[in-house]
Order: sequence, then structure tokens, then C-alpha cells
Amino acid sequence: MIEVQQVSMVYPNGVNALEQINICIERGEFVFVVGESGAGKSTLIRLICREYLPSKGSIKIHGRDITRLKRREVPLLRRNIGVVFQDFRLLNNRTVFDNVAFAMQVIGSTGRDVRKRVPEALELVGLTGKAKMKPLELSGGEQQRVCLARAIVNQPALIIADEPTGNLDPKTSMGIMDALKNINIRGTTIIMATHAKEIVDTMRQRVVVLEGGKLVRDERRGEYTHHGC
Amino acid sequence: MSVMSGEGNILIMAVRNWVYYIKEAFRSVVRNGWMSFASVGVVTVTLFILGSFMLLNINVEHLTSEIKNQVEIIAYVDEVLTRDEVDDLRVSLIQMVKVEEVRFVSKEDALVRLQEQLGELVEGYSEEGRNPLRDSFEIRTIIPEDIPEVAASLQAMTGIARVDYGTDVVEKLFRFTGAVQWVGLAFMLGLALTAMFLIANTIKLTVNARSREIMIMKYVGATEWFIRWPFLIEGLFLGAIGALIPVLILSYLYGETVAWAQLNLYFLPLVSPETIIQQMSKTLLILGTVIGGLGSLISIRRFLKV
Repeated sequence: MIEVQQVSMVYPNGVNALEQINICIERGEFVFVVGESGAGKSTLIRLICREYLPSKGSIKIHGRDITRLKRREVPLLRRNIGVVFQDFRLLNNRTVFDNVAFAMQVIGSTGRDVRKRVPEALELVGLTGKAKMKPLELSGGEQQRVCLARAIVNQPALIIADEPTGNLDPKTSMGIMDALKNINIRGTTIIMATHAKEIVDTMRQRVVVLEGGKLVRDERRGEYTHHGC
Repeated sequence: MSVMSGEGNILIMAVRNWVYYIKEAFRSVVRNGWMSFASVGVVTVTLFILGSFMLLNINVEHLTSEIKNQVEIIAYVDEVLTRDEVDDLRVSLIQMVKVEEVRFVSKEDALVRLQEQLGELVEGYSEEGRNPLRDSFEIRTIIPEDIPEVAASLQAMTGIARVDYGTDVVEKLFRFTGAVQWVGLAFMLGLALTAMFLIANTIKLTVNARSREIMIMKYVGATEWFIRWPFLIEGLFLGAIGALIPVLILSYLYGETVAWAQLNLYFLPLVSPETIIQQMSKTLLILGTVIGGLGSLISIRRFLKV
């Protein structure tokens, strides 16, 4: 589903963020991208969202090279990717329902669809009954669930989560991971950047390890703590 | 059939999008109440000043052209000329290219006029041979600015003893009104630019406050114009409201001023409200909406690069 081929990324300020990365991700996979900060996790994720263009190499999603997309085609790509952020990025002056509905309005969904699918998404992440609350009335874990609901409401084939548990305590984090696992079981591919060892170790999913912009390990059912080959 | 329904769907979606844009624009005006108020305030204040200056400038222009039109050359006829010669002279004056009107004032008429103005001071000059005045021509040019040149060529003509047009006064007046117009134009241009700058900045604050919203829109796959339209409509709307307020206030104030001036300063020829208000309203409304729309497009540009 996603083929990252020979991708290198040098930022305009000369920083070498990624070097010759090759990753192939199948449909329905759950992949952790781990590494210390500055290892290139965020850069990789931003390249897949087509926020940046790589300096070299190609990134194919569903066989289509996204580095060759025209500017006006980028929104269409993003409609197939749900993004979850470490800092939630919710609209604090709107209700939970409106925050999730926002993602549907933006792509021109009908009111009927919105009224049907927003409650479904909220149920899937365990937020039934909180639809009318504002984000700041919720706990951090609940806010992240709103963000998750927003990411899945358009039923994207791929969810990208950048440190989604970075601001949460371990117990709350596990709740979010359960929700992500639930979404993954339904067939959605998930790529998650993190440096939370406990989470990676307990989940037993594929782990891609980056170090200084290079891919040093790619293991199915891997653990973060074991190093080297 | 399927093509038809496809086109129908696109139409329904377009209509739905426009409903969304307009709703979103107005919701944002309300949601960012203080910011909207500030934007409208800035437009109102700057366009009010601009509008006042415009009214002033148009009136100064009107006034100076009135004064200019009253300026004329008086050419005194040589006493030795016969009636026929004076008539010939008159014909040749009328035939001059830059001359619009030539009026002959006999020395008798001139005396009567003088007596009307000065009364008893000039009594006793009415009898034959005692009139000290001369026959003269009062000449108006098509363009007031041509007066000095025409006067000079008159001076050179035979049969004309002396030419008078208040040389200093007229030349000073022309220089003054020219300067007033240039200064006014520069001032108005400067003010329009200032207004644009202020409004772009105010709208930038609105957009800044909502950069989060824009970023989220980009991440969930909104097209650039989908993001832009509500802001653009908001800008156009705020600009139009910001222009409408000074238009209403200035129209009212100008109407009152003209009414007052007609009673108290009847010698002051102000431009009638009907014509000037229409001109001012059109300019301010166009300027307000353009500034508002342009301001929001400029300020949103930076945030679309995600």
C-alpha cells in the first residue's frame, strides 16, 4: 500500500533528516516508527502526508507516486489519510461533535451523513455521551480520542499518528492504543511514531527503528528495547 | 442518465458548499466579534477621513473653478478710436482662438457701474466730456489658465491702450489651486494605502487567531479555495460594512452642511449633495470591499502553505 523508495531528505538549512530510506507497508498493517528525537520520525510522517517533498526518492501510496502530485491534488490525498497529533489540535470553541463533523464538512459531506457517521466515530473511540462538551472540559485522553474520531470519520485507508500518547500518562496511553488497535482490526492501516518503549513492547507489532536519519532495524512483532541485528 | 445525475450531484454539492462558505463567513464574523468590530472600525475610520477629504477636495476644486471662471481680462480701448474701429477690434477679439466671450463696456456704462458701487463719491462726472473713464472690453477665455497669455497678446494689439487682469492675484490663485489639488490627491492616495495596510493587518490578526483551524482544514483534505472563500466573503463583508457606515454618516453630515451653508454662507457655492454623495458612496463602497477582500486574501496566503 505504501512504498517508500530510496527517500532522502535534506532541509533547506542543510540538516540531513533522512538518508536512503526504504519501507514497504502492506494494507492493514500496524507499524511503529521509533527513534530518539531528531532521528527523522516526524520528517518521515510529514513526507507521507505530503507536507514536504523529499530531496530524493519516491513515495507511492496505492501505486501512485505522491511526490509527483499537483498542488490541487494534495487535498484529495489527505482525504485518504487520517492524522492524529501529539497536541490534539482541536478547535476549543466548538463542541466534540462539531470538531469531528468539521472534517466531514470540509470535504463537502451531506448533513445526513454527518449526523450518521459522527456518532459512529465517537462510539468507536469510546466517547458516546460527550458529543456536546467542549474539548477543554475533557481530560487529555478524551481529547486525544476526539482527535482520533476526527481522523477516522471520513473512513480513510490510512491513519498516521505522530506521538499520540506523548502528552498522556501510561494508563490513558493504553486506552488510546486500544482504540487504535480497534480501528486497525477493522482494516485501517496505521503508522505511529513514538518513543514510548512500554507501548511498543506490549503491542508486539512491526517496528521500524530510525537513528540519525537512517533506517537501522525493521522487525515484525518487534520490541523497541532490543537493539542491533 | 448517469451523466445527468452526475452533473446534478456536482450542482448540489456546489450549492451546499456556497451555503457553507456564507454561513461560515457570518459565523466567523460573530464568533470573532471583537476582531470583526476592530476591522470594521479601522475601515470606518480611515474611509471616513478619506471620504471627508474627498468631499473637501471636490468642493475646493468646484470653488476654485467658480473663481477662475469669474476671472476676466479688461482691455481699455485707445481713446482715439472711432466707433467703427472699435467694432472692428471687437470682431478681431472674438476671432481669437482662446477667447470665449467678449463684452463691450462703454465708458458711460462703466461710470454707471462705478456710481452704483461707490455712490456719491463719483457724482458730478455724468456730463458730456467730464467722464474720466475709457471704453473697454471684458474678455473671458475658454480656459482660465490662458488668461496671462491672451492678455499679453492683447497688450501688443493696436487700438488697446492698457490690459488689466489683476496679474499678481490671478497667477497666485492658479498656483494655489494647483497646489491644493496636488496635495489633496497625494493625501488621499496616502490615506487609501494606509487604510489598505491597516485592514490587511487587522484581518491578518483574525486569520492568525484561526491559523489552527486552517491547519486542521489542510490536514483533513480541504481544497485551498474551500479554505479561502469564507475568509474572502468575511473580508468583503467587513469591508462593505466598514464603508457603509462612513457613507451614511458623511451623506447626512454633508446634506446638513449644504443646507446650513445655503442659509448662512449663500455666497459659497458648494457642490449639490445629490451628485457628490453618489460619487463618494460609489468610491468608498468599492474601495471598502476591494480593500477588505484583498486584505483577507493577502493575509491568508501565508497559512495555506502547509
